[in-house]
Amino acid sequence: MKADYRRPDFIPFPKDNPFTPEKAALGKILYFDTRLSENSAQSCAGCHSPGFAWGDGLSLGIGHGMEKLARRSPSIVNVAWGETFMWDGRAPTLEAQALGPIQSAGEMNMPIGQLIARLNSISGYQPLFAASFPGQEISADTVANAIATFERTIVSDRAPFDAWIAGNEKAISKEAKRGFVTFNTKGMCSSCHEGWNFTNGGFHDIGLASADLGRGEFMPHVPKMQHAFKTPGLREIARRGPYMHDGSVATLEGVIEHYDSGGIERTSRSDLIKPLGLTAEEKTELVAFLNTLTSYPSPTSIPMLPQ
Amino acid sequence: MRLVSLAGVVMLGMTLGSLSAVALTTTEVIGQQGRKFSAASLSVRKGQPVTFLNDDNVPHNVLSLSVGNEFDLGSQLPGTSTDVSFTVAGEVEVICAIHPRMKMTVNVAQ
Repeated sequence: MKADYRRPDFIPFPKDNPFTPEKAALGKILYFDTRLSENSAQSCAGCHSPGFAWGDGLSLGIGHGMEKLARRSPSIVNVAWGETFMWDGRAPTLEAQALGPIQSAGEMNMPIGQLIARLNSISGYQPLFAASFPGQEISADTVANAIATFERTIVSDRAPFDAWIAGNEKAISKEAKRGFVTFNTKGMCSSCHEGWNFTNGGFHDIGLASADLGRGEFMPHVPKMQHAFKTPGLREIARRGPYMHDGSVATLEGVIEHYDSGGIERTSRSDLIKPLGLTAEEKTELVAFLNTLTSYPSPTSIPMLPQ
Repeated sequence: MRLVSLAGVVMLGMTLGSLSAVALTTTEVIGQQGRKFSAASLSVRKGQPVTFLNDDNVPHNVLSLSVGNEFDLGSQLPGTSTDVSFTVAGEVEVICAIHPRMKMTVNVAQ
């Protein structure tokens, strides 16, 4: 069972947007630059901040004009291994995702033409784009490719769980080891939260009391996709609360209670979600296990922005 | 790996004068173990059944939105299977609604 949880050796980059250090460095600058928003007040990092395990620590994201968004800001940790992007999976690539919130009227509210004009007006960006994309003009594609390249470099640090998987039996507690067994058996958590990143990228209605149709907006005739949302990974999970797509659960203990109850029974609810009958001890052990997935991360440097 | 089963053999006895001819129609079986279709592509004739077998340990939701060949098997529990016949010739994209990495193509010939 432990063999399924070994960390990969390499970050996957797509053939049509391969890694270069210049591109990743430019992507990092763009990611932290508030001038990518119409009001120059919001950056990607505002909602996906390293200080909150690359999320924002809020129940719901805050968008343009300080308005609350409908869903929680997801962490970008380990997005290089993503299958689809956004809670409802509407973005097929990370490059497509990167341009979504920038242009969204409710988020950064920045028309792409206005963004390109603004970046062209900042002379310090010219050599950075030229080094990253020789012979190309600043465009939606180059902005997206640079940001996506940087985002793929955001990988969760090694956690106590990894040390245990690597053979150090003292790396995690006996309680956490029992929680790992429950995670893979009675709790059925690994049916969706599988592999080293603890997700298979699947979509499920987990029975939350939310009117949001999620994936169902794009698959209106598929009953099981109504109220379905993408399964998030669990790396750095202790720092990623509050939890669920709507931020409706404050603690990991609350998450376990939800899954143990099975949530709201309805046609769309996943067949994997049902009352589990976990004991109080098993719930405590599951939380102990989940906490072993959180690393002691190294600080993230904030780039100087070009003028 | 593509599984080809003769379990679904259909025997059509056709009397042609004093002769009797038997036509065999094979059923292609597509498994889903490990959140993967057992074949990335498959070629069938129009009307030839394809069996989607959930030999995995979690439910799947196999469907196609390809025009003319739309179908939705709904939540398919482990150990169950459903036959699908395609009525329009052409390329059909088949996916699992739950697991986005599961994709395959069925090429339907006349």
